[in-house]
Amino acid sequence: MSEQRETRILMISPDSKLTPDQLVRAVHAMVPEISIKETCYGCLVEGTRETVKKVVEQVRQIYRNEVFSKRRGYPQGDPRRCRAQHGTRPGFTQLEAEWECLPLIQYALNEIDAGNGAYEVPAEKKPIPVKEMKDICEAYR
Amino acid sequence: MSTIRIAQLSCGTEYSGVQFEIESAARAVGAKIVYPDVSYSQVKEALDRFGFKPKSTQLQLMIARAMSLADRKFEADAVFITTCFRCAEAALVRNELRRFIQENTRLPVVTYSFTERLKAAQLLTRMEALVTIVTRKELLARERQSGITAGIDSGSSTTKAVIMENNKIIGKDWTPSGAVVVETAEQVLANAMKEAGVEMKDIEAMGTTGYGRFTVGKHFNCKLIQEELTVNSKGAVWLANRQRGEATIIDIGGMDNKAITVRDGIPDNFTMGGICAGASGRFLQMTANRLKIDIQDLGAMAVKGNWANAKMNSYCSVFGIQDLVTSLGEGKKFEDVAAAACHSVAEQVYEQQLQEIDVRHPIIEVGGTSLISGLVKAVGEVLGEEPIVPPHSQYIGAVGGALLSSGFL
Amino acid sequence: MKVFIDPPNSMVLFDLVERFGHEPLSSMAVIQEKIDNIEVDMPPMNVTLDDVVRGLKYAGVEVPSGIRGRMSLWGPMIEAADAAIIIDNAPFSFGCVGCDRSNELTKYLIHRRGIPALTVKYPTDEAEAKIMVGQIKDFLGGLKQ
Repeated sequence: MSEQRETRILMISPDSKLTPDQLVRAVHAMVPEISIKETCYGCLVEGTRETVKKVVEQVRQIYRNEVFSKRRGYPQGDPRRCRAQHGTRPGFTQLEAEWECLPLIQYALNEIDAGNGAYEVPAEKKPIPVKEMKDICEAYR
Repeated sequence: MSTIRIAQLSCGTEYSGVQFEIESAARAVGAKIVYPDVSYSQVKEALDRFGFKPKSTQLQLMIARAMSLADRKFEADAVFITTCFRCAEAALVRNELRRFIQENTRLPVVTYSFTERLKAAQLLTRMEALVTIVTRKELLARERQSGITAGIDSGSSTTKAVIMENNKIIGKDWTPSGAVVVETAEQVLANAMKEAGVEMKDIEAMGTTGYGRFTVGKHFNCKLIQEELTVNSKGAVWLANRQRGEATIIDIGGMDNKAITVRDGIPDNFTMGGICAGASGRFLQMTANRLKIDIQDLGAMAVKGNWANAKMNSYCSVFGIQDLVTSLGEGKKFEDVAAAACHSVAEQVYEQQLQEIDVRHPIIEVGGTSLISGLVKAVGEVLGEEPIVPPHSQYIGAVGGALLSSGFL
Repeated sequence: MKVFIDPPNSMVLFDLVERFGHEPLSSMAVIQEKIDNIEVDMPPMNVTLDDVVRGLKYAGVEVPSGIRGRMSLWGPMIEAADAAIIIDNAPFSFGCVGCDRSNELTKYLIHRRGIPALTVKYPTDEAEAKIMVGQIKDFLGGLKQ
């Protein structure tokens, strides 16, 4: 079964103007035989591994750096994971936190696409030597 | 009756394979496990307010969920706080959150540290008590017994029966529990009725508690079949005449120990231990057997001794007792050895259970082991306060059963 | 190549690894295997006592059960990985990764395997995001297919 079914979270970056509704309609047009559930952050798609792969590839082409994706273990509407059953599961908070981070990732990917991807890793900051700290303290005496 | 909602604040239950067992236990007593909803921003805010920032985010989430209960953003009837056994970080959070919930809500709360071997049956009594506290508020508020009622406490070591009339005990009996719980119960009930001078037809209602409560309750068609945490609490405060205000009830039983904090006789927090025979009344029985003395004499002997003279290197009911025998071989006094045995049990109860509750005053010590004076003395020494041992303290369950069942008249 | 991601449930890492042409090894995949097993009925995750006992391979019995249960799922993934990317100070690590001790052990096991591993810092602004994404892209680009 695992080989057959794949469920994906498609999450729209908060900086994108794309709406979940638009995304759902676009995905529907991409492939037949896919199950889609609109959510507050984008949508859940479910189908065979091959179908879902096609969807993700096309979504990445059309909404290149605006929509992000990861697999989900549970199928759509699984009561074991459903929020309505007994409240949110802890992974919900994780998704929320990562959603907040997506604009930064989107920015970085856009920069790379635009040829501005050069970066420099800053040297790690180290605590000042004890002697130096002592001098500072004594200067305030 | 709507389903009782037990809010679960936990870490590690799913990856330990015990979440299913927790939910099964809740379902078995007509309750449902719920998780208070929180958002990511609430987690950040909750940590700042609470002031404790554990490294593990699941523990952070527990804090935010507790905050959501305290702020009444999420409705629940009771709280179950549980984390992995042997996790220090979680143990700190578990205890502080229990305190926080008690200070900020009126919800009954129980804490538990689990291993991967946890089975639903181990949680049943605790879950049942949470449900009783929520659903039987009016019954539990009862302070006077009326009419003629009987209570049977079918415990793991002994079975007790009490007959009460107009708020007085008029008959009582106990005996070691036999293989067939109903037979033992019938025997103590008959003796108690004889002492009271009443017959079965005179008894207007019966209540039962303890391990054998379901079998006994069915056999006698009891009006009240209820777990021992709430029933014993009521019996203890009635016997000690401390029905109002706060108290801590310590019941060192034959198989498990209970430490319960009560407010007006109703438990709001409790722990139950039962994995170590060395921390139970059974240990003292084994010590007495090994020393070839009567269990009744062990207590009086211990009062005269000094535990520090007979060092025990182990709390274990096998190795610890061996230490005591070795001490005797070295010429130590019987009294000191008996005192060491009592001290060992008291110390373990203190270390394992009383850390999970906030001890309130007075401390009421009950159950069969409260008759062992050496143990009461040892508990007093360990806690720094002498416990109250009410008269008939071994009859708490039976008294609680008789008292509460009169509420059905 | 198979790239283990840490946090193993991270959407950002899963997406970037796939985007840059590799196969992310994530906790979602192992959880799917567990929950799709119709022979076990232990909701919500079908993690059983046997799994926790299998976790003894990674941590002793004195270690809390939640850690052993987690390691029994992630350990085999770390063993199967060709490379790994770790976000060192992710402020988000809820759900599967709620236990800090498990997370520390996971990082150590990656290190002990000696596979190519990249540790990046979670960004707090756009400049740092460029560094993180740039490092990940270069690391993945340098992995031989």
